[in-house]
Amino acid sequence: MTESSPTPYVVEMRDIVKTFPGVRALDGVSFSVRQGEIHALVGKNGAGKSTLMQVLNGLYPQDSGQIVVRGQTIDRMTTARAREVGIALVAQHAKFVPGLSIAENIFAGSLPRHGAGFVDWGRVNREASERLARFGLQIDVRRKMEALTVAERQMIEIARALFADASVIILDEPTAPLPKHEVRLLFEFVRRQREHGASFIYISHYLEEVFALADRVTTLRNGRVVGSAPTADLTLPQLVRLISGADVERFRRPARADVGESVLEIEHLTRPDAYDDVSLRLHAGEVVGLTGLEGSGNGALARGLFGLEPVGTGTVRLDGKPYRADNPAAALAQRLAYLPRDRHGLGIVGIRSVRDNVSLSVLDRLVNALGFVSDRRERQLVQRYVDALGIKTPGLGQAVENLSGGNQQKVVVAKLVATEPRVLLLDEPTQGVDVQAKVEILRIVDDLTRDGVAVAIVSDELTELTDVCDRILVFHRGRVIREFRKGIDEMTPERVLDAIEGGGEEGSDAVA
Amino acid sequence: MPWRKHLPTVLDNLIWVILAAVFVFFATQSDKFLTPINIRNILAAAAVLGVLVVGQTFVLITGNFDLSTESTLGLAALLGLWLIVPAHAPNWGGGMMWNPYVSIAAILVMGAVIGWVIGALITYGKMNNFIVTLAFLLILRGAMLRFTEGNAVNGLNFPPADIFYWLGHETAFTLPWVGKIPVAVVAMLLLFLIGWAVLEHRPFGRDLYAIGGNRSAAVASGIDADKRIRQVYVVSGVLAAFAGWMLAGRVASVQVDLGNGYIFQVMAACVIGGISLQGGRGSIVGALGGVLLLSTIDRGLNLMQVSVFWVKLIQGLIILIAMFIDAQKIRFRSPVVESDANLPGTAPAGSPAD
Repeated sequence: MTESSPTPYVVEMRDIVKTFPGVRALDGVSFSVRQGEIHALVGKNGAGKSTLMQVLNGLYPQDSGQIVVRGQTIDRMTTARAREVGIALVAQHAKFVPGLSIAENIFAGSLPRHGAGFVDWGRVNREASERLARFGLQIDVRRKMEALTVAERQMIEIARALFADASVIILDEPTAPLPKHEVRLLFEFVRRQREHGASFIYISHYLEEVFALADRVTTLRNGRVVGSAPTADLTLPQLVRLISGADVERFRRPARADVGESVLEIEHLTRPDAYDDVSLRLHAGEVVGLTGLEGSGNGALARGLFGLEPVGTGTVRLDGKPYRADNPAAALAQRLAYLPRDRHGLGIVGIRSVRDNVSLSVLDRLVNALGFVSDRRERQLVQRYVDALGIKTPGLGQAVENLSGGNQQKVVVAKLVATEPRVLLLDEPTQGVDVQAKVEILRIVDDLTRDGVAVAIVSDELTELTDVCDRILVFHRGRVIREFRKGIDEMTPERVLDAIEGGGEEGSDAVA
Repeated sequence: MPWRKHLPTVLDNLIWVILAAVFVFFATQSDKFLTPINIRNILAAAAVLGVLVVGQTFVLITGNFDLSTESTLGLAALLGLWLIVPAHAPNWGGGMMWNPYVSIAAILVMGAVIGWVIGALITYGKMNNFIVTLAFLLILRGAMLRFTEGNAVNGLNFPPADIFYWLGHETAFTLPWVGKIPVAVVAMLLLFLIGWAVLEHRPFGRDLYAIGGNRSAAVASGIDADKRIRQVYVVSGVLAAFAGWMLAGRVASVQVDLGNGYIFQVMAACVIGGISLQGGRGSIVGALGGVLLLSTIDRGLNLMQVSVFWVKLIQGLIILIAMFIDAQKIRFRSPVVESDANLPGTAPAGSPAD
């Protein structure tokens, strides 16, 4: 996309209106994508991005407005029609059969056969390899899908779509589950396909990535387009302002001078293949970042402490008492709470209500003399946290799966905070959460530290960590190799990143 | 549109609308339908099924099945009588001559033990619940066949068996118009009431909904899911034994095939009543509606003198129609607030990120 004369539009959506009972999800949205363009679509949760893409993909019919694909007006878009005209959606978690090989997944439903009707495995594997090679993917197609990294799966899904003659590929939050180095691989791959003329619509909350990848960015707010411009003409603060509609941006937490007594003391904690001789302390009122490459031991440490995985050998003390948790129930009983990275898998019970989710861990405290949960006390408790965290929900009875990502995450936070923890471990707390909700969640974390809670955040969002943490510990291959202290060390995202990527080479001197 | 506000409530209670429609239909077809005796018969026929459904509801809400309850019922009924009757004809039995109260306590304990073993195999043994309970369905029935070698236990005209007769047949109290209400019906309704209170208002019941909704998240919220699952199988086993006590009192003579095939009706009643087989959804009140619907249809067809050769077919079709109506509910629900992280079909796909 360096040539000066613009390429033709492949997709034009004009004045799209889509209403759901009570909600005008899209209010006259026009959105166009040129050939060979990576066009980012940004906006808060609930701004209309997904609805717009689902209209384009034929999942919902629009109430009014036009969809034109390569000059041809599509009267009634359906998912089948979308596929015919070359529109494909690649979801965050690609839809594959994990137990089957890459080749089988590529040919799913149309495996080449011998005359007698048996599958021609030689041809399956050969052709699958050739197809992937054409898109620059050198990979053993006999490997099982489940053995691949998430980024590899996404690349294969993109290749599969391109092979099926897709010319416009919608990438919905592709990088949310990816560690940083895989993001780079995915982006290189996407750029390469763009050079061959494919167009991409790229939905993301990660604005740095939008600038790194996209040619153009369109911003939605409350179902309307509030801006559309080449990324080169925009700055990050401008884009944030467009998205939020106000000057809400980052939440910066000042360094705390008055850190309290130590709450959690970990000494020589070792679990083979996870972490190795880790010693660290968390103090009351302190926020400590635990960062590192994927699999460097920071996430495993948090899961181990909470009893989701074996914790290994070594000593752990909480408030001076020996601490041990073989399961989450034991951890919560000792007032250590954990916010899981995998919100859908471990965080929310999606089909149950906001009320049921928030009170789930503290039901025993809400019972009356007869052992029944007191409706009044439960409502009071849940309402208090819904108000305190600004959870936007039509009511306490609303199923959590119907809330936006940011509000789902706040429900999980509310559930944890309700247990009145002494130690709070947060694993990627702002993943898949919009800018505003991110700030609100971090503000709650700050409030908790004022009450003397010790907080640790497992994350590779370095800007966020340097904004809120008092200290950041860098993990590398299971060991803590570096400590940054706010106000003492130069704690900037760049420096922390250097330490992470430098790994053991230069950081072997400093230890927590 | 004020009616829209009430739409979810109506949809959640659809079973009662269907039940009312079926009631009206039969009332127009037979003038014997809306009579005290028929209403009593419907309730009495629902009693044993209802007790099993209460237990099954607990299990289903956690996302598990218990197929074994009809065999537990049969074995409990048989053993309960066998322990108290003399050894020889006309009362084939153990000749143990146990005190009937002790015998009843014994079968309830037996139900609890069966339930605990099933739960332990599923949780400690990491076995599939469907297969474990299917195996117990066969094992318990098989044990019963082996044990009796086809003999029936007869408690008829045997005074110590009165305690069985009491639960199965006796009148609890008399209502105007309807007349005599059997103890069995009162017991069933009481169990539904207790079941409702526990499921909706005890931490125990709330845990079950969370486990069925998302077991991993429930565990991460501090719930001991394995323990809860063992407990629901104990509940189900005890209630199955209780139903055996009730049915023994109703039939007086227990054959080896007592309760055979009941499980289909139990599952049908639960599902028609809105209990999700995936777990986490549904109310026990709806399950009561399912029980009443099945026994109403049963009595109604009987009154219309529909040939027995037709009954099964018609029952199956009615279940299918009820489920079809239920499945259409989703279309009338208002669509979700947009959530970008959760496109349909992309939601929880494990966590490959880890």
